[in-house]
Amino acid sequence: MSLLEDLIFFDNPSIWNNFGGTSSGFGGVVWQMFIWSVIVGLLVITWLFYNLVYFRRNDGDPDPKDALKAGVFPHERGNTVIELAWTIAPLLLVTWLTIISLAPLNYLWDVPDENDEDTLTIEVTAKQWGWTFEMPSNYTIPLNYTKCGEMDPEGNQMQNMRVTYDCLEIPSDTKVIFNLNSEDVLHAFYIVEIGIKQDVVPNLQTVAWLDTGTVNPGEYNIYCAEMCGKSHSQMLAKIYITETA
Amino acid sequence: MINKNLRKLSIGFLIAILVAISAFPTGNGLPTGITSTTTTDTVIANGCTCHNTNQQATSSVIVNLSLPTNFTSGETYTIVLNISGGPNDLSDGENQGGFFVTASDGELTPIANDTYVQKPFGFTHLTHTVEGNDYREWTFEWTAPSKDDISVQFVAYGNSVSGAGDGAANDYWNKKAITLYGVNAVIEVETNEDLSGPQKLIYAFAIIAVTLSVVIIGNQMVTKDQGFEDVLKGYWKAIYPWLTTTDHKYVGILYICTGFAWFFIGGILGLLIRWQLMEPRIDGDFLTYEEYNSTFTIHGTTMIFMAAMPIIFGFANYLIPLQIGARDLAFPRLNALSYWLLPTGGIVIYMGYFTGGAGDVGWTGYTPYSSGASSTVPGTDFWVAGQIMLGASSTLTAINFLVTMLRMRAPGVTMMRLPLFAWSILITVFLLLLSIPVFTVALILLMADRTFGTLYFNVDAGADPILWQHLFWYFGHPEVYIVILPAFGVLSEIITTFSRRPIFGYTSMVYAMATIGIISFIVYGHHMFTTGADPLFRFIVMLTTMLVAVPTGIKIFNWLATMTGGSIVLKTPMVFALGTIITFTIGGITGIVLASIPIDIALHDGYFVVAHFHYVLVGGTIFSFIGGVYYWFPKMTGKMMNEKLGLFHFAMSFIFFNAAFYPMHNVGLSGMPRRYATYDAALTDMNEFISIAAMIFGLAQLIFVYNVFYSYRNGEEAGDDPWDGWSLEWATSSPPPHNSFTEIPTLKVAEEEE
Repeated sequence: MSLLEDLIFFDNPSIWNNFGGTSSGFGGVVWQMFIWSVIVGLLVITWLFYNLVYFRRNDGDPDPKDALKAGVFPHERGNTVIELAWTIAPLLLVTWLTIISLAPLNYLWDVPDENDEDTLTIEVTAKQWGWTFEMPSNYTIPLNYTKCGEMDPEGNQMQNMRVTYDCLEIPSDTKVIFNLNSEDVLHAFYIVEIGIKQDVVPNLQTVAWLDTGTVNPGEYNIYCAEMCGKSHSQMLAKIYITETA
Repeated sequence: MINKNLRKLSIGFLIAILVAISAFPTGNGLPTGITSTTTTDTVIANGCTCHNTNQQATSSVIVNLSLPTNFTSGETYTIVLNISGGPNDLSDGENQGGFFVTASDGELTPIANDTYVQKPFGFTHLTHTVEGNDYREWTFEWTAPSKDDISVQFVAYGNSVSGAGDGAANDYWNKKAITLYGVNAVIEVETNEDLSGPQKLIYAFAIIAVTLSVVIIGNQMVTKDQGFEDVLKGYWKAIYPWLTTTDHKYVGILYICTGFAWFFIGGILGLLIRWQLMEPRIDGDFLTYEEYNSTFTIHGTTMIFMAAMPIIFGFANYLIPLQIGARDLAFPRLNALSYWLLPTGGIVIYMGYFTGGAGDVGWTGYTPYSSGASSTVPGTDFWVAGQIMLGASSTLTAINFLVTMLRMRAPGVTMMRLPLFAWSILITVFLLLLSIPVFTVALILLMADRTFGTLYFNVDAGADPILWQHLFWYFGHPEVYIVILPAFGVLSEIITTFSRRPIFGYTSMVYAMATIGIISFIVYGHHMFTTGADPLFRFIVMLTTMLVAVPTGIKIFNWLATMTGGSIVLKTPMVFALGTIITFTIGGITGIVLASIPIDIALHDGYFVVAHFHYVLVGGTIFSFIGGVYYWFPKMTGKMMNEKLGLFHFAMSFIFFNAAFYPMHNVGLSGMPRRYATYDAALTDMNEFISIAAMIFGLAQLIFVYNVFYSYRNGEEAGDDPWDGWSLEWATSSPPPHNSFTEIPTLKVAEEEE
């Protein structure tokens, strides 16, 4: 693996797979964004170098007919058709990019109903500089959920408590709703590898959600992504997605 | 000739960089997350992290450490630590408190068979056990070091808890530091605490400045055989006109020099950030987390308000009266006031460094973090005060330019015959006048909150938690167009001059800039995609943000069309302009990527965003204005700048700019958040590469500084119109006479000439 490869290929946040990330191939919004970026960028750079090669001034070249003169406003130069063309073409392109952004947006903003069968609502509280996770009172913690439990005197991992600090273990194949609350300043709840981010605002409950059926079970990181003071970069938590036994 | 060399040189550079990046190995490790660093060091730096609550030390907890009056070498002493006060001051009970103690020398050990005190494996400090948690007094032993002519520093932390055992917010802690001297130790007078990193830097600069001035003045006194006072008088004579001037040309040069001076200071801060991120460091390894927060705050503030804007308004000051054929700005004294508010405001912001850390709230200063006076460093008050001054300065400048450009144009200079740089400044000052007062008012409210205890942003009192973000970004987004539009103006001037043809589509260029100006006020919500703002609001700004691409695209295509069919002369200003087109296009494209909400949610507040705005601000604004320096330097000084040094400067800047900022896209996609003082170890190689490239990019700017001084002394004579430009500044002499024009010129029109 060299840096050159790193600069061209990248692992996308896994939520992008839900709406056609680079790894899921042609058609998704991310893929299209990437392709159109390359096309537009190459168009500009190629045209620039084409100009440099074909319209360079060599010694002894005559001045163009409408060459500039000091103190004289130059001739008007332009072509309405061409100018309209490169006004309308980008307009169509960004319209297209907006349209293909709508379905993923609808997916992200369509938070599942808390009362549904397969949902799990977790109260998340952020404060300088840590996270508190509280499971609903009617939720039975599976016996094999011990990632966030304390040690017993014999040094064995104990079962998770209903309230855990900087650590969260959630079931796979569930729609998990995070109700986000802040006790002090702004924070942002960011599940790094999955690409979910939502500001945590004092006095205003915000919501993030994740369908754990769409990601692999395993260990993920939670960062705080909104500057919140001295130990902002240490406001970390682990999130484990575990299959229920 | 220069073409051939340039081609060889650029091919060489390209091959070198391709080899460099393909050979550069990167770790292919999976992300493991940031290693949490709760070691002895972090406890000492941050205080007690026992329950992740109440990080501030409180005086209500009293920590006592019974130490002997002095120590003899090798002897073992029994030490008692007790705490009193706090939430649960009972004689007995459960979960009453905890402690943590370190000694800088000797060895701390629990008393044998004591189950209340433990020494964690691999550490030198002592702390309580789970059982020891029920007490408020602990006893342990300390063996003195083998020497007794030294002193030993003890630091004890006591944590008084509520007894609920849940780490609730009413748990308190305090610390106590005691120095114990050996029997033979020479007791020294307590010196001040160690200087922080930035303070050291500033003191070092002060020492260098003083030494330099002593050397220069001494040298003058010796070589010219003058007395100290005569030398100073000579300098005073040279400085006095600059201090008192109201001439737009002098003020313009002052602005440009001040802008570049802050640009270098801000650049050094940027390099401090990169040095910190060279490897995932723990707190205090290079900068402490608090210092790191100050560093990026002041870096951002400096670069936007004290570097980019002064450079822009320096050029505007110098060129606008010349381009519209006026003798000076409408209000020259007001102009001088605007200028002098700038270094003053800047110095006020930097004063924060001497109060225990400069502002640490980020250049955006989000409330409620910034409005809570206790949690931020005192330097934040200076940051707010300085920003208000800079805001006032910009408002006055805006009024001044608006009046000048609407009322003082020479005969023949109608609105649709203004040079495009003048148009860009006109639109910029409109934006400035409509946006910056909003920010200044928000800052005054913030200052009132911090200083007088008002409640505009106090969430507990019912304030809207995202009110500040609306106020800030209502200003903040037009602000970034304020910074980029003049760059478009400079590019238009340079590209048309060096293509030897009129600009393609003058009218559409003007309308495109005006459209960008109007759109800039209705897109600001795209900075708030992840806040709890109304979804409809966020959806609408996503649409309008996408629209920005249209006028920006028109401008880029018009520049390229200007070159097509032209007769391109490839001199340094043109090379910088072309480089800017490439970097700005990349920055513009990533802007569209970020405009799509589903993608932005993953990338927001990450390094992808950092890459994006450095591509548009450095790759757009700074590159084009450095091109502007090469372009207008002959007009300002009458001397040409050195071409070879200029091209070398461009090659170094362009290559290492891209090497530093392009990988940030990848780092951002891998999930590194911005404003993080440390990061996932899997990203170390990429960050190291970025840091090294950034340092070379910083060093490359020294070529530019050298070129400016070298050319000022040794440059060829420029003549009135060295580049064959058309606008009116080229119709006067270089440098222009005292009143800019000996006779007010009339702008002719090519169609009528023939």
